[in-house]
Amino acid sequence: MSGTVATYRVAIGNAGATIDCCADETVLQAAIAAGIDYPYACASGNCATCVSTLRAGKVDMLPHGDAALSMAQRADGKVLACRARPRTDLDILWLGRGRK
Amino acid sequence: MAVTVAVKRTRACATLLAKVRDIMAQEGITPSTLHAIKLKLVALAARGALFPAADFAMPEAQGRTHPLLVEDNDGLGLYLTINLPGKEAAPHDHGIWCINAAIAGRERHVFYRRTDSGATPGHAEVVRLGEVIVQPGTGMAMSDHDIHATEVLGDEPAIGLALYGYATARFPSVTWYHPAFGTVRATPSRRHATGALPGTAA
Repeated sequence: MSGTVATYRVAIGNAGATIDCCADETVLQAAIAAGIDYPYACASGNCATCVSTLRAGKVDMLPHGDAALSMAQRADGKVLACRARPRTDLDILWLGRGRK
Repeated sequence: MAVTVAVKRTRACATLLAKVRDIMAQEGITPSTLHAIKLKLVALAARGALFPAADFAMPEAQGRTHPLLVEDNDGLGLYLTINLPGKEAAPHDHGIWCINAAIAGRERHVFYRRTDSGATPGHAEVVRLGEVIVQPGTGMAMSDHDIHATEVLGDEPAIGLALYGYATARFPSVTWYHPAFGTVRATPSRRHATGALPGTAA
């Protein structure tokens, strides 16, 4: 094994930017590191502030609360950026505007 | 006529809240009374027959909160929480006191203290103070603005009781701290919300 982690390209429509995101980091972590003002609050899958539409690509989701993202929302292409790790290149759009 | 488990559970929950009300009326909410209430919640959680798994649906994702007894308006909220292995919550304060007691499983609670002045919007620094593992026979209590992070340990769901000074549908703003980013974010207050859904606490 090489020990390297795959890196994917993530297009964030609201920001008009495309950033790199490693397979072992979340979309939110990569966005913050890239200086993008992605909306978030809990950053741990509980509040839904970072709920987003995944327009293209696949992600793995870290554990989260039912109230933050329902199965129906997930089936409708919604994800939590704070819980989503890329498995392919992504095209994503946040839905809300977080409070600071 | 036989009394169902659900009726027994509701009576036990009502008895607990009545005792909590007595304590609050006599002494208010202090570290000492929070500890006293915690012991009562731990005792209720130990009555496992009142909380059979069949009565509480498991999470569809990894975390679910079932209301047990929620008082009207600005009253107390008592819940049964089910969190699956790996479920976590970043450091946060609820803006209101809370007490947890375990029925099954293990959950780590790590406590923090904010150290910056709060002068820079969106920025915060916190330091880790310590931790407790909440498991059957134990619990934890927090004052209004104490900060904790949680994580379910092991491979068993963490099932427990959670008592809050306000029902979750009437929570104040919850403040979330992110040591890795050096940031702080807040979710909107539900104090004057209408139609807020119960069971959305972290």
